[in-house]
Amino acid sequence: MKGEISLSCRQLERYLGEAEERVHALRGVSLDVEAGSLHAVVGPSGCGKSTLLYILGLLDVPDAGSVEIGSTLIAGLSDQELARRRNQLIGFIFQFHFLMEDFTAHENVMIPMRRLGQLNEEEMGQRAASLLESVDLGDKLRRQGRHLSGGEQQRVAIARALANDPQVILADEPTGNLDTNNSQRAFELLANIVREREKALLLVTHNRFIADSCDWVHEMKDGRIIASHPHGERISV
Amino acid sequence: MTAPLYIALRFATHRKRALFLSLVGVVFGVGIFICTQAQTQGFAQFFIDSTIGSNGALTLRSRFRPRYEGLVIPSKNVNALPERRNFFEGVHNVSEIMRVSRQFSNVVACSPVLRGNVSARSGFEMTTVELFGIDPPAHLRTTDLAKQIIDGKFDDFTNNTSAVILGYKLADQLEVGCGDSIQLLSPSGEYWRFTVAAIARSGIGTIDSTRVYAQTRVSQRLLKKPYEASMIIYKLRDPNRAPELATHFETLFQHASDSWQEREESTLQLFIMLRLSAAITVSLMILLAGFGIFNVLTMSVLSKIREIAILRSMGYRQVDISAIFLWQGALIATVGSLIGCLLGALLTGIVSKVPIHIHGLLYTDHFLVVWDWRHYFWATVLAGVAVFIASYVPARRAAQLQPVETLRGSSL
Repeated sequence: MKGEISLSCRQLERYLGEAEERVHALRGVSLDVEAGSLHAVVGPSGCGKSTLLYILGLLDVPDAGSVEIGSTLIAGLSDQELARRRNQLIGFIFQFHFLMEDFTAHENVMIPMRRLGQLNEEEMGQRAASLLESVDLGDKLRRQGRHLSGGEQQRVAIARALANDPQVILADEPTGNLDTNNSQRAFELLANIVREREKALLLVTHNRFIADSCDWVHEMKDGRIIASHPHGERISV
Repeated sequence: MTAPLYIALRFATHRKRALFLSLVGVVFGVGIFICTQAQTQGFAQFFIDSTIGSNGALTLRSRFRPRYEGLVIPSKNVNALPERRNFFEGVHNVSEIMRVSRQFSNVVACSPVLRGNVSARSGFEMTTVELFGIDPPAHLRTTDLAKQIIDGKFDDFTNNTSAVILGYKLADQLEVGCGDSIQLLSPSGEYWRFTVAAIARSGIGTIDSTRVYAQTRVSQRLLKKPYEASMIIYKLRDPNRAPELATHFETLFQHASDSWQEREESTLQLFIMLRLSAAITVSLMILLAGFGIFNVLTMSVLSKIREIAILRSMGYRQVDISAIFLWQGALIATVGSLIGCLLGALLTGIVSKVPIHIHGLLYTDHFLVVWDWRHYFWATVLAGVAVFIASYVPARRAAQLQPVETLRGSSL
């Protein structure tokens, strides 16, 4: 254990679909992610990795079990409250970047800050510029999302995930859409930021190299975590 | 600036063509609504001003016998019809009624009129006319007759008991001008000769084609009337309160009393129908613009599903998402209404200069318009309501999108 537990879940259960097509996507999943640590979730497609991520990210609600962020138990909250906590406590990074194409890199990073509403326009601009600087995009602040390369877009997404200084970063295949060089670079950037800024990172990946570089690797199969390995131990996926 | 408003502005300005098309619908709807209302109300207002200027805002005519309804015990026969009111021709105690009337704050002036129908002859032309026996100074204070003179002088009429003023259409029909003479046939069969002192144009066809003004004393002799006035006409400070005063005068003076609204009811209803018809037609245009906006915003929601999902993942609430699309609607309604009001004012100005020749029910040589802030207000309200309804459904749909479904569909 490296530090305080930033994110944890206990006995998560989740069913997806209706009637005959109903799938038991999560079967009693429990997990702890500490501040400053990198956790990877690996497993075959359809094993429940993304479902787990969305529940931990407060985008979906479990049928049973509990989620805790910091020391706060997240249960029975309204959409408004869940949204507020997502905005303050969680940063998301997705495989397909999901930048606002018509917005500049700078504006994209400012979107979560606008919702939080704690900084004025100038302060938001300065913070966004500093975050983009930290992902080596200081010279592309005014470039629209659609005019950035795949690697650059993913780095903007990383900066955006850090916009409100969240406790937890959740990444769904963050390098899945990048070539090897860009994958390596994006991951190293993310890993450095997480360690320097004491964030908790949980990422879903199919990339063996990235999984091996994390502090913990959790193997999932059929909705369960079948094994959890610390850094350096061989994994079966 | 709130986050939803900022994003709404960015979404809207990055879809310039769709924004432009939505704006065009609202701008033209609002502009044409204002212009048509200005025109239809312009003609109606001209008619109202003319009828009040010629016949007064209120008229008091025949005396009636009081029925003392409050004292009568109702009959056992419930089907019994109420007693009919008995009228006596002419106004009784004219000077006393006028003295009391002037005490009312809403009364500016009043004037007695002796009215009767006679035949008028000039050369070989003959027609039935409405003789208005007037007291010139009192009538001048009560009506716009002096302003309506288009030929001759009112003083020539005042200073000559055998002078008359003719409506301009009647003068055309009898082929007479100022200084010419006409003959009026009395009920006893005598022809009386009068000199045309002036010709007047009220703007209302029925008045201009039948009316002859003569002095009261002469008219009373000619018409062989035992009373000096068949009606008293009133000029009011607030003509819109004429119905209340008419009811009060009826009770007070025991004379039948009509406001200009009752007197011109059928014509006013025609104008109201025209205004409503124009308003409904143009409102449909605004509703069509609303359908256009509905389509544009629905397409916008469909094309922004990914963006909506990512905004939700970043902590934007359902209410923020719907606000983004409602703000876009509000932006279109605000800018569209502003430009529409300017267009409406411009069109109204242009239309008021368009020459037309209406010499029938009304007399005018150009389009009549009214500049009324209420037209702009209602056009803006109508556009606002139409756009709100048009943007509410897409906004609600956007807010209800489940981000997980979108994110899952994109990432697997």
